[in-house]
Amino acid sequence: MHDKLTNYLNDLFAPYDGIKSVTELKADLLSDLQERFRELKAEGKDDDTAFEMTLDSIGDIEQTVQEVANLSHSLERQVLINFSASNLKESDFAGVSAHKGKFKASALRGANFAGADLTSSSFEASDVREANFDRANLTDCSFSTSDLTDASFRKSVFVRTNVSMSSLKGAMFIDVKLTDAKLTMTDLRKTTFENCIFHGVDFKYSDLRGMCLDGQTFIGVKFDKSALNDVSFRGATLRNVSFLSGFTWSKKYYRAIKTICFDGAMLDKLTFASLKGIGCDLSNVTVI
Amino acid sequence: MSENKITSDLLRGHTDTMILRLLSEADRYGYEIVKRIAERSDGEYELKEATMYSSVRRLEADGDIEWYWGDESQGGRRKYFRITEKGRATYASNKNNWEYAKRVLDILL
Repeated sequence: MHDKLTNYLNDLFAPYDGIKSVTELKADLLSDLQERFRELKAEGKDDDTAFEMTLDSIGDIEQTVQEVANLSHSLERQVLINFSASNLKESDFAGVSAHKGKFKASALRGANFAGADLTSSSFEASDVREANFDRANLTDCSFSTSDLTDASFRKSVFVRTNVSMSSLKGAMFIDVKLTDAKLTMTDLRKTTFENCIFHGVDFKYSDLRGMCLDGQTFIGVKFDKSALNDVSFRGATLRNVSFLSGFTWSKKYYRAIKTICFDGAMLDKLTFASLKGIGCDLSNVTVI
Repeated sequence: MSENKITSDLLRGHTDTMILRLLSEADRYGYEIVKRIAERSDGEYELKEATMYSSVRRLEADGDIEWYWGDESQGGRRKYFRITEKGRATYASNKNNWEYAKRVLDILL
């Protein structure tokens, strides 16, 4: 019966999906209705009667939702003001919703964006050192040429996010699913990736020397022309992964490729064949 | 709930003040507010959830009340509403206005 209430509210609130204050109103309302339903049941009402009476207690919610939604649109617009070139050191943006926010060339060192919805925001050429992006939605965000030293990206949403030409020294990506993200021309030697899934990620021209990518999943990922000396893919899963060297296979690139460790990795046939062809040691891999 | 529910605009116009009154006694969460109003009016006035939340948002925006998360031992967390100093002043002034209007209406009607 609680599912029935939840479904009813989901339908009612569907047009306003994604507006934070409306989602909050929905949660508040749901817990009220559940309590009322429980009380009616305890009074001895049958399921259907209790459900009808519970729905009847809602009243004209459409108007209230509309009011709340309008209020939150104007708040979101306020957040949308241009933060470009501002000094926002250690600012608190936790949980905000700032679609298309502009933070270009800003000083955001140590800023807190935990849980924020920053879809389509731009952080180009900003100082974002030590910033916290845990659980933030970074879909379509651009961080190109930014300083992301020691930034934290635990469980953030990383869809089409662009982090090219940036400094990611000490940055932490933990439990992140990176989809079609761009990490090109970036020095990743001191960056940590743990328990991540890389889907269609582009590492072209990036420096990954000595990186540990153990146990993670790579699907349709491009490592073209990346520096890959001593990278470890122990126990990783690689499907349709590309390691092109560009126009010609230079001796230097061959040597680098041979230092990659694939022990215990699972490779699909295509990835296996291409790596085999360039002389990788694939003695301890499983072909899937 | 009684059969002759009065849901006139006259009563609904005082929702804000009713909520301020309840919160001046104790901090309360959403369902508690609706429930108390039904109980106190002996079912004569049933405040709808929608009306209550619309009023709560308004009071919150005006700075008459604020909310915080309660720490429930069981079930989900609840939002508790608390009256502010400004809210107490608003309540007192609304109550005075009503006493005055009541006096005048008693003479005129």
